[in-house]
Amino acid sequence: MDTTLLVQALVSGVLAAGLYALVSVGLALAIGVIGIVNFAHGEFFMVGAFLAYQLFVTFGIDPVWSLFIVAPALFALGGVIYTSTIRFVLKAPELNQMLLTFGIGIILQNLALLIWGGDPRTIAGISYRGIGYQIGGVSIGLVPLASFVISLVLVLGLYWMLSSTPLGRAMRAVAQNRTGAALVGLEVNRVYLVAFALSALLAGIGGVMIAVIQSPTPVVGFAFTLKAFAIVVVAGLGNVRGILFAALFVAVAESLVATMVPNGDTLRNAVFFAIIFAVLIRRSWRTV
Amino acid sequence: MSVVIRATALAKHFGGLAAVDDVSFEVEAGEIFAIIGPNGAGKTTILNLVSGLLTPTAGRVELLGRDVTAASPAQRCHAGLGRAFQVVQPFPEMTLRENVLVGALFGTPGLSRADAEHRADEALEVTGLTALSAVDAEDLTLMQEKRLEIARALATKPSVLLLDEVMAGLRPAEARDAIGLVKAVRDQGVTIVFIEHVMPVVRDLADRVLVMDHGKVLTEGRYAEVTQDARVIEAYLGKEDAA
Repeated sequence: MDTTLLVQALVSGVLAAGLYALVSVGLALAIGVIGIVNFAHGEFFMVGAFLAYQLFVTFGIDPVWSLFIVAPALFALGGVIYTSTIRFVLKAPELNQMLLTFGIGIILQNLALLIWGGDPRTIAGISYRGIGYQIGGVSIGLVPLASFVISLVLVLGLYWMLSSTPLGRAMRAVAQNRTGAALVGLEVNRVYLVAFALSALLAGIGGVMIAVIQSPTPVVGFAFTLKAFAIVVVAGLGNVRGILFAALFVAVAESLVATMVPNGDTLRNAVFFAIIFAVLIRRSWRTV
Repeated sequence: MSVVIRATALAKHFGGLAAVDDVSFEVEAGEIFAIIGPNGAGKTTILNLVSGLLTPTAGRVELLGRDVTAASPAQRCHAGLGRAFQVVQPFPEMTLRENVLVGALFGTPGLSRADAEHRADEALEVTGLTALSAVDAEDLTLMQEKRLEIARALATKPSVLLLDEVMAGLRPAEARDAIGLVKAVRDQGVTIVFIEHVMPVVRDLADRVLVMDHGKVLTEGRYAEVTQDARVIEAYLGKEDAA
């Protein structure tokens, strides 16, 4: 067995885990605080990626600076979608909520296909894209490394926000007891709005990074919805704190399968499904 | 005396059922006001209408002279209304202190962190929970949960506190403690409206009693008066005595 290859797979997995955690933590926030299982979450990620692409193509804006444009744009998009649709189904059966978010996802994806077509889009010619480091035969790209660090900072920042700021307290209070929160002066709907918008913002920032790491097509969102669901399921639905380790587990598992298994690269999505199935079946045993 | 809560011709219909029908009453500043009546009389619905968890089908609710009929629960909280539930509504994964701090922070918009912490500690003190500050709310006994419920409501600095059967499920000694707590809260200048099934508690606490039956007001007055009322005895006390 090739040790270098194994270490490379582990390193790649760990680096990918940062971005995965960033995207998943937004999904967990929507599930945990609002109770909405958002199947459109990956599409926020996709919109972030293509906004970054378009900003680069039209205005020549470096993706690093796009982060500061895409973040508020996605916050606003999340806010608009919450206000125009989600808030009306909060008390509806879960199936209705899921169908709604699924539909929103399909609309966003098809809009993107209309605008950008189905071909992969590359943000070409940025200097730092090709930079990488070799450490004992293991290569680490600057972009994946930077995306890992930015993601980690944002996820830890979110954890800090939840534990130590008034907004975070409000979100936890609303998540733990909606009625109790309303009666001590919290406007529950406003907290939901901010939580949903923040969830979209985090996904959008992840999207900017994927636009540099890969050459995404408008269907990239679905793949990340799937990844995020696997991670959220491993962490426990709505558990925001468990996301970091769950992301690490899922990303390393994906990387190991893709690298170490013959033809493993085609099995990536199967890894996520396998993890979701395994965890859900195990949980169902526990409750029987 | 100024009026803290004025309900005028309140009605709430659930489909064809009139849970509350043409109910009017006034609660004056500084009094302890009891709402009693058999199960299904509409007592909790009244509290839900006053606190904003339900919107009335007809009628209006005024809080300290302000019409709050269309206001959200949070707005009513900011206007001076506190509420503790029969089924307690804590934030289970927060410590006691954090539960109460949430009440202090969000009950009064713009309150500084230091003032909120001070107010939270005060509320814990009054309710005798200081020693349990660091315990998670999910690990409390029922009596402690009820105290927490009151502490969190107090931390919002209410002018009036609604208590929904806070004595339910308590042992006699605990109920005596709870009566003492309610009196202590009133002595701090908080008007109290409470729902109660245990008649000795109503006798010990209430300045005035509103008796409800089938969604309507049966009568209103001092405990000694209403308990002599033939209609009340028939609708409520008579049945209770027979049981």
